[in-house]
Amino acid sequence: MDGIHDLGGRQGYGPIDVNEPPEPFHAPWEARLFGITRAFTRPAMFSIDLFRHVRECIDPAEYLTRGYYDQWLLAYAVLMVDAEAVTVEELATGKSAKAIPNMPPPMTPAKVATLTKAMSRFDRESDTGPTFAPGDKVKTIPFGSSGHTRLPQYARGREGQIESFRGVHTLPDTNMAGDGPAQPLYTVSFLAADLWLGAAGRKDHVYLDLWESYLERA
Amino acid sequence: MSEDHSGRIGAIHRELHSHLPSAPELRVKALESLLVEKGLLDPNTVDAWIEVYTEQIGPKRGAEVVARAWTDPAFRDRLFADGTAGITELGFEGWAGGHLRVVPNTPAVHNLVVCTLCSCYPHAVLGIPPNWYKTAAYRSRAVRDPRGVIAEFGDAIPDDVEVRVWDSTAEVRYLVLPERPAGTEDWDVARLARLVTRNSMIGTERDLGRLVGRG
Repeated sequence: MDGIHDLGGRQGYGPIDVNEPPEPFHAPWEARLFGITRAFTRPAMFSIDLFRHVRECIDPAEYLTRGYYDQWLLAYAVLMVDAEAVTVEELATGKSAKAIPNMPPPMTPAKVATLTKAMSRFDRESDTGPTFAPGDKVKTIPFGSSGHTRLPQYARGREGQIESFRGVHTLPDTNMAGDGPAQPLYTVSFLAADLWLGAAGRKDHVYLDLWESYLERA
Repeated sequence: MSEDHSGRIGAIHRELHSHLPSAPELRVKALESLLVEKGLLDPNTVDAWIEVYTEQIGPKRGAEVVARAWTDPAFRDRLFADGTAGITELGFEGWAGGHLRVVPNTPAVHNLVVCTLCSCYPHAVLGIPPNWYKTAAYRSRAVRDPRGVIAEFGDAIPDDVEVRVWDSTAEVRYLVLPERPAGTEDWDVARLARLVTRNSMIGTERDLGRLVGRG
């Protein structure tokens, strides 16, 4: 969707807080929320792509002003309400009105050490080979979609070059339920001067990881 | 996702906005109480995750990866060929490490990592990202004015050095391998690792040489 989250190249957001303290969390509630999101049993399947899309749907003013972990809280809250696992009233009061049937016991502290080593992979076995090869000239499609997609606005309708083939990965646009189809994924290089007026005369590049359906042969 | 479903998601967001407690610490407290009551959460497990990402999993891991790559060319080759396999050799496999790619700085190239669409980050080797990495200020400018961003952090990239910005739009995660500073030829891995900053592995810092005197 052409939402507030698609920030690449936007202007006017001011300086970066380069003197931020080094601690990973800057308030106890941030650490708490982080820990909760790692530890809680999902009452329904939330794919990473659905989670990202729900975060993209946060009201634009809130997206820019709420703390990062507060946005995670909102996204998980919406996912659970959408899955009818909890109600808005329950989230507001912190009191459960109704038990969720058939849930396994929650994650124990003893499991954490093993789970920190868990790695999700998004490439899939496929008979479909890549259409493009490194060095091929490509052009990105000019349009966004109204759902979730990972082709940023700043790189739409632009010419680039295939840098590498990364395998056949699940396509975020159609992976809301976590079992969507997969497509060849490529790292594509764009000359910065082809993206931004101010980069003229430089040999700088911007690289994006893009799925085959975002690309056409140039 | 259908437009109907996106519309429903937006409607739930608005409903939550008008009903949840207004202070974030109260929202988190209510969420935790509810999840515990529902049998979905053990509060001790929350403590354990916070501890592991505060004490154990952080940029020190990435720094060790870098220092080993500087001192062991065979490891460096394996790391470039498959970043995930490389960090797994060191026991650093984990969150968002499933498709890791290590991109090396050279005298002619400087790399910078961003996620313009959300906040993708190689947690397994860098831990919890700094807040600035997740802000609109960084995400908007890193792709458009990377030299200006790096200058804001205090390093100037010479005109003849090519800047490569990696926008993490898929599940591939990027770790920058900074250049080994001169004057460290006889240093061991542990001493070298102390030189390597988090920002140099994101790419907002280039020159680690100024730290050599303090190593």
